[in-house]
Amino acid sequence: MRARANIAFRVSAASVALMSLCPSLAFASEGEESGGISAILPDMLEFIPMLIAFIILWIILAKFGWPMFNGMLEKRENTIREALKQSEEAKIESERVLVEYKKQLADAKAEAAKIVADARETGDAVKAEIQSKAQSEAADMIAKAKSTIEAEKKAAIAELQASIADTSVDVASKIIGQDLSDAEHRAIIERYVKEAGSFNGN
Amino acid sequence: MATNRLIQKSKVDVYAGTLFDAANDSGGKEEVVAVRNQFVELLNIIYGDLDLSMAISGTMYTPEERYKLVSTVLADVATPLREVIAVMSRNGDASLLTRVYHEYESVIEDKLKLCVVDVVTAVPLDDELRALIKQKAEADLGMTAVLSESIDKSILGGIIMSVKGMRIDASVISQLYHARETLKQTDGGEI
Repeated sequence: MRARANIAFRVSAASVALMSLCPSLAFASEGEESGGISAILPDMLEFIPMLIAFIILWIILAKFGWPMFNGMLEKRENTIREALKQSEEAKIESERVLVEYKKQLADAKAEAAKIVADARETGDAVKAEIQSKAQSEAADMIAKAKSTIEAEKKAAIAELQASIADTSVDVASKIIGQDLSDAEHRAIIERYVKEAGSFNGN
Repeated sequence: MATNRLIQKSKVDVYAGTLFDAANDSGGKEEVVAVRNQFVELLNIIYGDLDLSMAISGTMYTPEERYKLVSTVLADVATPLREVIAVMSRNGDASLLTRVYHEYESVIEDKLKLCVVDVVTAVPLDDELRALIKQKAEADLGMTAVLSESIDKSILGGIIMSVKGMRIDASVISQLYHARETLKQTDGGEI
């Protein structure tokens, strides 16, 4: 392909050189024969070589130049068409991606909203649970405190009762031991013997 | 073949019978009761003194040393009781003293048809009270009763009577003790 292009270039160069020679001849003859119809008619001696050169040039161009030029155009056209096609596909793809991104963004927003809602709901549940637990613990603590207070109160009452009982008995012992006469003691013994139970359990 | 339990029972019977016969021969019923009362006091002394208890029943002394020791320590005790305890100690049977005492009481009851009533009071008894207590014991037990009197101020008042393992506690200290426990256990209610 490159060799063919080189050949075509050389032929075109030769044709241009040939054509550049021909007009100089024509203008030379024009200066020699001026006036009449001959002024507008071509000189056959110039016209025929020029025609032949033109025909040769046309044949050469038709044979080599035009197909190559046409191929270049087609190639260019294909390139442009391909680029347009790719551009169109890229546009379609970008639109598709955009739509997809928008969809993903919408999904993300929805999911974020859902997460926020869930978090809020979970937070409310946790808050309620913490409050419930705190109230339960507080109730337990109060109950335990009440129980402890009650137990301590009972213990204090029992201790007080024991102290009172000990004191009362001690006082009674001293009174009985010191204040009773022998006669009173004997009276007590007599009463106890009469009221006492039997040795044989009857 | 006699078992150890039967051998011990035989020993107890022999010691108790010997003691009763010796006391009865030396002074009759009064001596028997006096020996019985001394026996009670001796048991309290012996089991309240660990050294004395170990001395008469342990192996730190020879049998003859134990015999002499008991004879010396119990010099003021009635002869029948002193001799029986000394022989028991020499034979290594001092651990049977409590059983011998109970068997001795049984022998008294069987042979003399009387029982000894231990009476503890805070003041000495007069004749009227003695008669009353004796009458009650004889009515309950169906045999002649002899009183073994002792004074103990710590009971504050009232009387404690015991015979043959039975006990009637009508002392003031006991009633105060029950009153104290009742007061302690009574629910005082809300303040």
